[in-house]
Amino acid sequence: MPMSARAKLGFALALLLLLAANTARALEPITVTLEFQPDLADGRYSYDICARCHLPEAWGNDDGTYPQLAGQHVNVLMKQLLDIRSGRRSNPAMQPFVQQRTIGGYQDLANVVAYISTLPMNPRHAKGPWPPGSPEHAEGEAVYATYCQSCHGAGGEGDNTRAYPRLQGQHYSYMARQARLARDNLRRVDASMSALFTAVSATDFDRALNYISHLPLPAADVAPGVDWRNPDFQ
Amino acid sequence: MSGGKGVKRNGISRRGFLKSGGATLAGGAIGIGAAGTAVASSESSPPAIARLLRKATLPAASGARVVVVGGGWSGLTLAKYLKRFNPDFDVVLIDRQSAFVSFPVSNAWLADQVDLDFLSHSFFDAANNHGYRFMAATVLGFDRDSRRVFTEQGYVDYDYLVLAPGIEYDYPRIGVDDPEAQELLFHRYPGGFVTSSELLTIKRKIHRFRGGTFVLTVPSGDYRCAAAPYERACMVAAVFRRRRVRAKILLLDMNSDIVIKREGFARAFDELYGDSIEYLPSSEISALDVDARRIETDFDEYEFDDAIIYPPVRASRLIEEAGIHNPEDPQKAPDTDPFRYHLRNDEHVYVAGDSRAQPFSKGGHTAHSEAQYVAEVIAAHARGREIAWRSPQTMCFSAVDIEPLRAMSIITYYKYDSTTGLFAFDRTHLIDRWDTQGGQASLAWAEGMYRDLFYG
Ligand SMILES: Cc1cc2nc3c(=O)[nH]c(=O)nc-3n(C[C@H](O)[C@H](O)[C@H](O)COP(=O)(O)OP(=O)(O)OC[C@H]3O[C@@H](n4cnc5c(N)ncnc54)[C@H](O)[C@@H]3O)c2cc1C
Ligand code: HEC
Ligand code: HEC
Repeated sequence: MPMSARAKLGFALALLLLLAANTARALEPITVTLEFQPDLADGRYSYDICARCHLPEAWGNDDGTYPQLAGQHVNVLMKQLLDIRSGRRSNPAMQPFVQQRTIGGYQDLANVVAYISTLPMNPRHAKGPWPPGSPEHAEGEAVYATYCQSCHGAGGEGDNTRAYPRLQGQHYSYMARQARLARDNLRRVDASMSALFTAVSATDFDRALNYISHLPLPAADVAPGVDWRNPDFQ
Repeated sequence: MSGGKGVKRNGISRRGFLKSGGATLAGGAIGIGAAGTAVASSESSPPAIARLLRKATLPAASGARVVVVGGGWSGLTLAKYLKRFNPDFDVVLIDRQSAFVSFPVSNAWLADQVDLDFLSHSFFDAANNHGYRFMAATVLGFDRDSRRVFTEQGYVDYDYLVLAPGIEYDYPRIGVDDPEAQELLFHRYPGGFVTSSELLTIKRKIHRFRGGTFVLTVPSGDYRCAAAPYERACMVAAVFRRRRVRAKILLLDMNSDIVIKREGFARAFDELYGDSIEYLPSSEISALDVDARRIETDFDEYEFDDAIIYPPVRASRLIEEAGIHNPEDPQKAPDTDPFRYHLRNDEHVYVAGDSRAQPFSKGGHTAHSEAQYVAEVIAAHARGREIAWRSPQTMCFSAVDIEPLRAMSIITYYKYDSTTGLFAFDRTHLIDRWDTQGGQASLAWAEGMYRDLFYG
């Protein structure tokens, strides 16, 4: 939705400050992924445990109970694993599986995220309710361009070096649920992201997510069909 | 048909015929009728009755009051997440037990793989850590017009009522109709699927068993935790093996085949317990003589030295007594909206967990994932909003061997087919080879769940 010029300026300033804070903070996930040479075979072995919940393809569920992990940047995966491991991001079912005594140390986390990043993406992720051409879709596009694109990228591709999640291909239902949790302070997210909830209304945010969910995926990143099954698990 | 030691045939009656001392029905609530009107109209009002009619001691509600009946996997999750999704709710959790003992992982506990501390948790901790109130009381009934729940500690008024009282045994379905006979059977040969005392009795039984024939049953229908009776047979066999007891375990399955993780369990029965477990499918039980320790199936008859009798199950009697059940349903499940979980004609009364009407697998993980969604539905309802349906997920580990603990796992989701109007399994991921990684994962899973329900 349109915003007054002053509000926009205020928002841009806030964003700049946050970005500065962002670069200043030591990014543990990035340090970890840079410092540990991943071993894919070992990552495949560790992923066995994850697959008990995320399934071998890591494609997530239409209804948004599980995220699509395939195609996600390693630094983003690492950040989420570290947040879940420490309890910073609440995920009680998964938390015990990413502890030192279960999965192991940084090396093992590096291995498993590297493995996940080799998986092709779900060719049919859940889309939002408003198709391209609808006014809601167009509004979402405008919101996205103003507020989200700078971090999540023009095509929703995210940014590995800065650990901005790839949203392209993520289930709309999952994103909507995460946004609801984050807005109600039930999921702790980076300040860079949480500032958005004051600037952007729930409705506008939802339209932006709808828009993202309709973005095309690069053919090379996608599995050949919905029936594709991870051969490592056959 | 093959049978265990001491199999005999005689003209025992097809139906249960036992009579013996005992009072109310196993695991059931004391029935006073849905509205509590029977009590209200009682004129003499002796002190015991007067107690039922007074208001329970609770601080005045600080917001819309949500009363959750049953502090099992479903109710504990509901209470926590109701408060989380709407901090203005005043949440009261009521359970008739004074402490929580986990059924999941209890089979591994039978075989000493974890101790009782791992399984036992305090309702007070859960309530204190999550900002709701716990009340140790038995819910006797409720009145939907006045929105009032009756307990032996007095009544509690609600804005929303969530019923998560779980299951009860349905003994008539194995030919035991007489309530006193049911009571006796329940005490002597408890199934270990409803209350925690049953678990303690079972553990003593298997650790003191001196040899002979030990019977375990697998019920038919949508019983609680499809894999647990098979898992339990493995754990009992593992204990006998370790104790070097000469025992024959008869696993009488009322189904025509192992209903879940078939390959894995069949392999375990064969490779690990070939000399002790005898698996007998299609063993529909038609009568059971507690004193004579004799069990009759449609084809055979078996005598046993000790037993764990797990009969088919039904939804908590609280639901039938309140008249909110679906009369067509053999399990007497409630007549609720399949997506929103409230009664079709009352958006202030919800039913979740193993007493739900939907055909989801009855499991703790199922109840836990479902309850988070139901809590969100209720919080949204209070704000005049709606949220999209999310499928519960069923995740279940099954231990088959000890020293070291080895387990298999399965996860499954559900989808709604709008053409048939039925729920069906969505994708399922089964790992039916048993390994130590699965064993460790089963404990990690439980630990994460307990943390969520009580501490985190
Ligand atoms: C041996 C065994 C192994 C299992 N293994 C697994 C497993 O590995 N994984 C898995 O996911 N599931 C497993 N389960 C299944 C799981 O335990 C149940 O599905 C789960 O407990 C269902 O939760 P619930 O809250 O609906 O019912 P319950 O947990 O039974 O809770 C119901 C509660 O309501 C209370 N209550 C009932 N009536 C009243 C009343 N009138 N007033 C007050 N309180 C009342 C009861 O005291 C009880 O605490 C297992 C079960 C058993 C028995
Ligand atoms: C017991 C089930 C379970 C297991 C085992 C499990 N996860 Fe998860 N995981 C979940 C659930 C559920 C979510 C979604 C949480 C939410 O909704 O906030 C999740 C979320 C995640 C996320 C966050 C993704 C995002 O974009 O938000 C990552 C990354 C992840 N899991 C990786 C893993 C890895 C790697 C493993 C194995 C080491 C693993 N998970 C094991 C259940 C599990
Ligand atoms: C300043 C950079 C920035 C901007 C601008 C931004 N985001 Fe984010 N976003 C992030 C970061 C960083 C995360 C990861 C948060 C975390 O887990 O700590 C994130 C996470 C998310 C997630 C959760 C993804 C997941 O896998 O769990 C969604 C959905 C999302 N953003 C949507 C949006 C939308 C919609 C907008 C615009 C309205 C937006 N973001 C604007 C940085 C940004």
